[in-house]
Amino acid sequence: MKDIPEAQALQQSFLERGYVASPALSTALRLVEALGKPLLLEGPAGVGKTEAAKTLAAVLGTPLIRLQCYEGLDAQSALYEWNYARQLLHIRAAEALNQDIDDAALYSEKFLMRRPLLQAISQPTPPVLLIDEVDRADDAFEAFLLELLAEWQVTVPELGTLQAVSRPHVLLTSNRSRELSDALRRRCLYQWVEYPTRAAELEIVQARLPGISQNLARQVTDAVHTLRELPLSKPPGVAETLDWAQALVVLHRDHLDLDALRTTLGTVLKLREDWQLAQPVLEKQVSR
Amino acid sequence: MGRPDVVGDLAAHLPDFAARLRLSHGFLLGPGEVADALRALGAVNILNMHEVRDAWRAIFSTSPEQGRLFDAEFDAFFRFRLLDYPPLPPLLPQIPGGPPQEATAPAGEAQEGQKTTSPRNRGGEQLEAEALPGTAEGQAHDDPDAPETDLTLLARLSPHAGQGGAVTGTPADLPPLLRAARQLVQAVQLGHARRLVPRPTGRKLDARRTVRRAARTAGDPVTLHWLGRPRHAPRFLIVLDGSRSMGEDAQRLLHFAYALQLTARRVEVYAFSTDLVRLTPRLRALKPGQELTLPELGAAWGGGTRIGENLLKLARQERARVGRETAVFILSDGLDTGEPELVRRALRDLSRRAGLTVWLSPLAGVPNYQPIQRAVAAALPSLDALLPAASTADLLALPRRLKNS
Repeated sequence: MKDIPEAQALQQSFLERGYVASPALSTALRLVEALGKPLLLEGPAGVGKTEAAKTLAAVLGTPLIRLQCYEGLDAQSALYEWNYARQLLHIRAAEALNQDIDDAALYSEKFLMRRPLLQAISQPTPPVLLIDEVDRADDAFEAFLLELLAEWQVTVPELGTLQAVSRPHVLLTSNRSRELSDALRRRCLYQWVEYPTRAAELEIVQARLPGISQNLARQVTDAVHTLRELPLSKPPGVAETLDWAQALVVLHRDHLDLDALRTTLGTVLKLREDWQLAQPVLEKQVSR
Repeated sequence: MGRPDVVGDLAAHLPDFAARLRLSHGFLLGPGEVADALRALGAVNILNMHEVRDAWRAIFSTSPEQGRLFDAEFDAFFRFRLLDYPPLPPLLPQIPGGPPQEATAPAGEAQEGQKTTSPRNRGGEQLEAEALPGTAEGQAHDDPDAPETDLTLLARLSPHAGQGGAVTGTPADLPPLLRAARQLVQAVQLGHARRLVPRPTGRKLDARRTVRRAARTAGDPVTLHWLGRPRHAPRFLIVLDGSRSMGEDAQRLLHFAYALQLTARRVEVYAFSTDLVRLTPRLRALKPGQELTLPELGAAWGGGTRIGENLLKLARQERARVGRETAVFILSDGLDTGEPELVRRALRDLSRRAGLTVWLSPLAGVPNYQPIQRAVAAALPSLDALLPAASTADLLALPRRLKNS
């Protein structure tokens, strides 16, 4: 596991892995280690928030542990569970052999199933812990996170308090589907991730798809930026741009024409209404 | 300037800068954040002010809006402070209780931006209003005998003219508005939650808890545990038209939205005129009993009306949040200078996702009202109800009318 490099070096390392990070994002990621604080990444869907965590883990050469949040997620599902089936088998076996059932044995590490958060604080070297879409979880879970992120320890009633072996690099992502509490925001560094500029997105496409023709990459990027200016219900993210470019490469296209546009528009627009609105605009742009 | 001087200057001015953010813009900053900002200087290249700004933005801001404010303040404060220039005036009016600042926005500008409720300022959509026979709005135009000021002409020529302004004041009828809000919250029921939670009784066996409990009784499931669906507390999404044509109604409906937020837990409030702004954090920041004061709302208040564009923007922003438990309330007179097709698209999108979509119009209470405004007519097929909201009595009657609609 390496230390997080200086902001500029980090930006370069990200670029080598096909992720074009803004200077602001690189600096924020640098501070994750320097200040030992979690980083909250917010922004529209598809701008690369999750990918930033994956790339950070790759840059640091450390495992990525991901907790996908959802409505109804409780602390126990995120931390640990007891393997009830194995415990019952243990009880039955003990009964069959006329042995006493020892509580300590029944609630030992042998029957403990570590979930992402407990896994993350049990690692010998700091992993990258991604708490994805934290806004989808309930208030109660958010409050639980406050305690974990402050103390880096959890209490398992049957085992006692488990202190973090190493402090993970924590990244939280949110699509703003729910307003997060001020308390959580204050405990985190904050970075808003916006859609990349035209030039940056062109760079991303070329970095991710080295074989793509310059002309095609530019046409796809231009078209996506045109789409983002339209009042679409679901504007395309960077992932859709890459999907579209890759689809065109797979179809051996070296430029975007009307036929290619009509065939592959489904990789970038996922709603019929959006398609109806955008197709005439794009066809006009491609025909020029 | 050598490195130690830069560090010294930045560190020396940091508490002042943090205080300015706190007092001028309401940033929640304490000694912890300032200490973090000082520590961050050791992790960045302090000769690169952009990097310092990026680092401090990550520490001080908690939303994109705050991030933009931070950038402007940082540039104004440090670029000039380090060169002994006077500081720029604050971007927002001072919050009550804060110390007086060196300079404030010119009084003339503030007055021009202030939302006024005189009939003169209700002329933004007057051409459309004239086409509404039998409506109060149709008769509420500028006095033809009054001299036309430059402001009136600007308002007629551009949908953006005359925009902006602050909102202040608590109405005398806040208690009835609170009562209306409470009744509405009780009346709107959008079914049960999807997720299962432990309940004393339920339709589904909670296998995990049952088996876990069974471990205490040698594997025999003596006590059964159940899962059920709790009642949904509806989520309210309020979109308030703050354009000139709404006049006093905008103020009252804003107070109604505020009352709703005081009453229910999940309430999102947006305001729009030619642009859309989210009011929820500003309303939440108000203390109980504090006068409803909102700083300059820019293009979201007191200008022209772009209903379709703003509803589309809203539908996009709220896309992930609008679900079957969401009740969408659009508070607007429907007098629009934009394209009705956009309204149709936006409403179709919102109503497909939401559990309830209601349009509250101050005009709908006028006798013989016909929903012929282009925006309302476009929205009508997607609405669950179009109801009047011309007075507090209308708002009190809302639950009953919703039930009957």
